[in-house]
Amino acid sequence: MIFRQFLSLRNAGVLGMNRRNTQYIMRHNQRSSFPLVDDKLLTKKLALVHGIPTPPLYHVVSHHGDIAGFERALVDRQEFVLKPARGGGGSGIILITDRRDGKFVTQSGKVISRDEIRYHISDILSGIYSLEGLEDKAVIEGLIHPDQAFGRVTYEGVPDVRIIVYRGIPAMAMVRLPTRQSDGKANLHRGAVGVGIDIGRGKTMDGVRRSGAITHHPDTGELLRDIEVPFWERMLLMSAQSIDMTGLGYLGVDLVIDKKDGPLLLELNARPGLQIQIANRKGLLERLEMIDRAPKEVFLSPEKRVGWSIQNFTEACS
Amino acid sequence: MTRSAFWLAIALFLVAFCLIGYRVLRLGYPFLPTSPVKAWGLSMEIFFQPTGKDGKEMEIKAGLPQGRPGEAVIEQRDVSGSLQFNILSEGLNQIGVWSGDPEEGRVISYRATVILNPKRLAKPKPPGPDSFPAIIADKSEQILARRLVERWKSLEAPEKLKAIAATAKGVWRKPLPDDNDLKQWSEIQKRYGAEGALMILLRVADFPVRKVQGFILTESAITQPDRWFAVWTGQRWKPMQAETGDLYPESVRLLPLMIGDTSLVSISGAKLQEVRWGLSKQTLSQWRSHFERIQRSTRFLDRWSLFTLPNQFQESFHILLLVPIGVLMISVLRNIVGFPTFGIFMPVLMALAFRSTGLGYGLGIFAGVVFIGYMVRRGIDRLRLLLVPRLSFLITLVILAFTVSALIGSKFGIREFMAVGLLPFVILSMTIERFFILIEESGAVQALRTAAGSAAVAAITYKILEIDPLQLTFFVYPELLLAIMGLLLLLGNYSGYRLSEILRFKILGKKS
Repeated sequence: MIFRQFLSLRNAGVLGMNRRNTQYIMRHNQRSSFPLVDDKLLTKKLALVHGIPTPPLYHVVSHHGDIAGFERALVDRQEFVLKPARGGGGSGIILITDRRDGKFVTQSGKVISRDEIRYHISDILSGIYSLEGLEDKAVIEGLIHPDQAFGRVTYEGVPDVRIIVYRGIPAMAMVRLPTRQSDGKANLHRGAVGVGIDIGRGKTMDGVRRSGAITHHPDTGELLRDIEVPFWERMLLMSAQSIDMTGLGYLGVDLVIDKKDGPLLLELNARPGLQIQIANRKGLLERLEMIDRAPKEVFLSPEKRVGWSIQNFTEACS
Repeated sequence: MTRSAFWLAIALFLVAFCLIGYRVLRLGYPFLPTSPVKAWGLSMEIFFQPTGKDGKEMEIKAGLPQGRPGEAVIEQRDVSGSLQFNILSEGLNQIGVWSGDPEEGRVISYRATVILNPKRLAKPKPPGPDSFPAIIADKSEQILARRLVERWKSLEAPEKLKAIAATAKGVWRKPLPDDNDLKQWSEIQKRYGAEGALMILLRVADFPVRKVQGFILTESAITQPDRWFAVWTGQRWKPMQAETGDLYPESVRLLPLMIGDTSLVSISGAKLQEVRWGLSKQTLSQWRSHFERIQRSTRFLDRWSLFTLPNQFQESFHILLLVPIGVLMISVLRNIVGFPTFGIFMPVLMALAFRSTGLGYGLGIFAGVVFIGYMVRRGIDRLRLLLVPRLSFLITLVILAFTVSALIGSKFGIREFMAVGLLPFVILSMTIERFFILIEESGAVQALRTAAGSAAVAAITYKILEIDPLQLTFFVYPELLLAIMGLLLLLGNYSGYRLSEILRFKILGKKS
């Protein structure tokens, strides 16, 4: 009975947590390279070296003593993002869209005081949001103004594109759309909507929210399907370069599309979640195994890898 | 599956099972831990009075269980206060010797537990010439006895014994001896008594025979030991009723305490008042019965057993050895079933703590403390405390909750509330913090689901740890830890789906 269920998952090419950990993360991701992606500041530096654009860095707070100075560093900035350098799963991120009378207005319209911001920075520095509870740094960077491609299917916040890249080849992609429930954040476990992207055509497919299949955005009511993703090939190329940047063979690459600056690399994730399979209605294992069977010369350059991916990962239907 | 991990696991299994096999097959460890063993508890109380002469050393000697083949003495205890207690081997006997300065109206109290295991009968050695008792009769009487026995010369040993027994009862087998011999024989019987006459007959018929004092095993309180003969029948010593010469049936179990003519209890330097023996049936688990035996054994693996530790240190190993079972459970429940939990090992520590609070109380107290902690955590959130003082505040709060709970427990006599101190307080405080953050970030549903997962894992682990034979098995066979390491190696290589993923990826599975 249970075996039959397992077999049906296997036949669908579903990647399970255990296999992801043992066969892909542990085999293809060097432990020594983890800090490159766990620390967003390091990732930013690496991206700079490889010519991959990221959101502009305004300021870094490294010590509790420097907290007071953060406002001076931001003098004229009306909007910014405050995040922990080593945070995971979108925790500890605050988006500030305006400043009024020495107070800050968050994206959802909440007004928070200077003290609250300082308290939050202190929390970040203490490591409460960091992956291993280690001391952390607070990163303040530019706020993204999302491209309107997903405007109809976004409730506040910034949608982001997640691409799973295996051995430098984009294997599966989705766009994550914030909802009222996710509080403007693009994290699936907070209730954001995940919508699969057909790699070959660069268009969205159906969506998923908390393991349930959906076709329309829960807040805006708009159809999720067949939205054309702008800069798609450029984004694929950026993601394919991640292996050259980090040497990590199994990565989740998170990108955002800024109205002005185009696609920007937001962060890399060495332990990307498996929910993307549900958003795509497709097993990831199947594709990873296809990539392992690809001819050697495919892996030589990012362009070749993207080309192979577009050629092979096009949804036949629809 | 990594090949080297697989072979390493196999090697670990092999080592573990070889060691266990050696213990079971060569050292006779019990294989099934649960099957109980019938044992007999023997108690002896000797009442004595000092003779009044000051400074005189007193000595009491008493026959004790001997631990012959098929008879294991697993526990001996003496409660004799100021008297020195030693056990001496004297010939075939184990003699308990109490010596020292007697005090007014003192009592010696001794207890032993004996297991009779007929399966493990070693082949007894044939008796040497010293096993023949000295002839008590004079020359002419011996000649008479020899003449009487002569008539059964052609009989097999068992038949011969029967004939002798009949003679002792005055029943003569054919051919009948002549009247003169009969008359003379009844003279002998009168002079030496039935027992003495029987002894003479056995002696002249060349049956090695011993006088035995001890007990027929029935639950009873006794002031006089039983007496019988042990007769060598060619293969083994068989007990024979001293008055009738009949062999005891196999179903009668006897516990010999003294072989030979020495009286069972003797005293010097004081006056013996009374001796009371008590016999009671006991049921022991097989393991229990091995505790003492292993402690005294000289075999290598017996010497290197946890049983050789002093008791207070054994206790901590009973608990420690549960941890690997617990973490194995966690590995299974997380990687094969897929329970969500707060922290990886929190449920193991909870399960260990539940052993002293019980499952219901444990979960209740746990939920209560986390709830109170959560409310307080919400309250202090706006105070903007730094992380470390904040967590320290929570730890202090948890300790405060423990204290109040213990005081309530002591007021109303609820032991479980008082045992609360064994709950892992640091883990509990971290759980409160994680619970708060999870509610803030992922909503109450997800937080409650994780809490339920943690509670379920802790409860399941607790239930497994509660299986006493399992615990004892690990204590007796610590090499099972190697087997657990092997299992963990295999588990660590498990790349199949988790049961929870059947639900999670249901949409994907249905398609094909």
